[in-house]
Amino acid sequence: MSYPRISVFAGSANGTASPTRVIEGQDTLQARTSHDISVDSLHDEIAVPNPFAQAILFYSGGAKGDEGPIRIIQGPKTMLNYSDNVTLDPVHREAYVAQLMNDAILVFRSDMGGDVAPVRVIHGPKTKMDRPVRVSVDPVNNLMAVTTIQGVWLFNRTDNGDVAPRWTISGPKTGLGVVFGTRKVIFSPQGKKIIATGRRGGAPTGELFSRAPGSQPFIGIWNYGDNGDVAPWAIMPDTAAYSMDLNAAAKELITVDRGKLVVYRMPELFQ
Amino acid sequence: MPGRPDRARIQWSVVAAILLTVTCWMQTRHWSGAAVAQEANKTSERRPLVLDRAPARNIADPNPVFRAIVIDAEHGEVFMANDKESAGTSILVYPTQFPPTNRIMEPRRRIAGPKTDLGMVCGLALSVEHGEMYSVSGETGTLNVYPLDARGNVGPGRQLRGVIPRASAGVFLDVKNDELFITTEHVNRISVYPRTFQQDQEPLRYIQGPTTGLADPHGIYVDSETNEIFVSNHGNWRKTETGEGEVRGPDSLTRTSLGYNIPGRALPLAPSTGKFLPPSITVHSRTASGNAALLRMIQGPHTLLNLPDGLYRDPVSGEIIVANTGDDSVLFFDKDASGDAAPVRVLKGTATKLKGPAGVSIDAKRNELWVASWDGHIAGVFPRTANGNVAPLRVIRTAAESAPLASMGRIGAVAYDPKRKEILAPN
Repeated sequence: MSYPRISVFAGSANGTASPTRVIEGQDTLQARTSHDISVDSLHDEIAVPNPFAQAILFYSGGAKGDEGPIRIIQGPKTMLNYSDNVTLDPVHREAYVAQLMNDAILVFRSDMGGDVAPVRVIHGPKTKMDRPVRVSVDPVNNLMAVTTIQGVWLFNRTDNGDVAPRWTISGPKTGLGVVFGTRKVIFSPQGKKIIATGRRGGAPTGELFSRAPGSQPFIGIWNYGDNGDVAPWAIMPDTAAYSMDLNAAAKELITVDRGKLVVYRMPELFQ
Repeated sequence: MPGRPDRARIQWSVVAAILLTVTCWMQTRHWSGAAVAQEANKTSERRPLVLDRAPARNIADPNPVFRAIVIDAEHGEVFMANDKESAGTSILVYPTQFPPTNRIMEPRRRIAGPKTDLGMVCGLALSVEHGEMYSVSGETGTLNVYPLDARGNVGPGRQLRGVIPRASAGVFLDVKNDELFITTEHVNRISVYPRTFQQDQEPLRYIQGPTTGLADPHGIYVDSETNEIFVSNHGNWRKTETGEGEVRGPDSLTRTSLGYNIPGRALPLAPSTGKFLPPSITVHSRTASGNAALLRMIQGPHTLLNLPDGLYRDPVSGEIIVANTGDDSVLFFDKDASGDAAPVRVLKGTATKLKGPAGVSIDAKRNELWVASWDGHIAGVFPRTANGNVAPLRVIRTAAESAPLASMGRIGAVAYDPKRKEILAPN
């Protein structure tokens, strides 16, 4: 599992490449196995969660070595509880956290640190959220996507309190759900696409790589507005990803697959 | 007749139309009928477009690394855990004695493959007397037992499942009392099981709770003579309940250890308790149970502790030896060290070749110190009393000295920074 660190590679890196810099060491306050990372390129900041200390850590965009966070969200008012994920909205300066333990989404000001209360909390029976694990935001189209045990839940970006999702992508045709290995969901605002990993076949074990015969992971792509038990608009078959992000300029999809960073050229996601 | 196509022209037109349709279908690789369904936005009838795309490029290190390290002095073998996912996780076995070489060394045996169920193997222990090897994983909730001479793609002979929390870091066998000790990072816990455990074994006892001082525990060593447990802690702390992390289905205290397929209980939103403590070595009574206060703690700026991981005790001097991952060193503390105590020795410097040391052990028979250096793809062998910036007597390496540092183990996520044109990957 290595030890707590963020490795930074050139965008064009290939093969057994050396990182251009590494953020590592006790003073960085990271925990081993961060399950999410988010970049606010407008304000040149990086955010990672520390679930063991119930904190969200912010670093300067060019941080390296044993450089400590520039800001930390941590304390009783935050209500963070084993929160292993974070997504930044650079436009509205907000940080979103899915709370597996509480079936809730917490939204914080991303330019404020310390013991701060969330500015919004999505939580309650109307949300029908069960075991949310990751959240993503499209600040352009004002959408928020949450991966839950049953699939992907779409909310309005500014939703607050006990609100029903705007629409859901869930059901056997979707292959989605945390029980089928879905973790990260991302938006392509340019192409109005929703991208998430799913699995065909195998028992709902929660693992992306089921050992059951015929079990196949895939990356699925849906259109904005797809609602209910809807097959993806497109799939990348036999492709697994614990996490993903987009390089819009190069029209690339960057994924994490069993210890590797894998880059695909995917112009279709931006059309 | 003019204005009326002849039979041949009609046939060719039909053939051309079919060819055009087939060509379009092949180019787009639509599943049959998908285009029509998608154009009509009939999502219920949709058949996905197949984007069967080869990667443009991969970034990965294929070379194994060394994390936990244990020595079978009797048979002259060293066992090391390789927890690098891109290299395929494994347990690698080498001879302890070999001529010094700077070449990549092939292991004598390798335990790897889907049947092994190793997961992200982090901790190792041995029983020479019983011919067994024990492994724990930073990912799964199991304790595996293999024969000492196991090799290849073999399943564990025994496996503890039961209520054991997921994601363990270290394991230690107390030979005298025939007990296995396991640390679990995310629930700040030490669990104790009989070596002869059955699959659904309940722990004999466990140490867990706010007064234990445990804060993201990693390495563990048990001294059966002084009846002390030594644990390295990274310092990430939150209040844990005794029993938290145990896999008890709907009765589990939290969802922490359940995996995602068991609902568990949703907790109400409540004030956080998390905080950052300085890294430490906590010392506990071997027989402590529950929320028992620790005996003493090594902690403070003079200790130089920086992401401490693997632990061992020098059998001659009683010194506490720590792989100090965060500053590429090995620290040695006096056997009775407590509080903000400075180490009595520090092994550190460019000559040592240490980069990200994660495991330490002593070959008492040959009076040698072994250090697993994760980032550098090496295990270094030093004199037992080595001090300062000294070169290893010999190294085992899995990658050329010129190879990039290991840097990534299990990558948990990825982000692209469009401003800096960089890819960021946390472990």
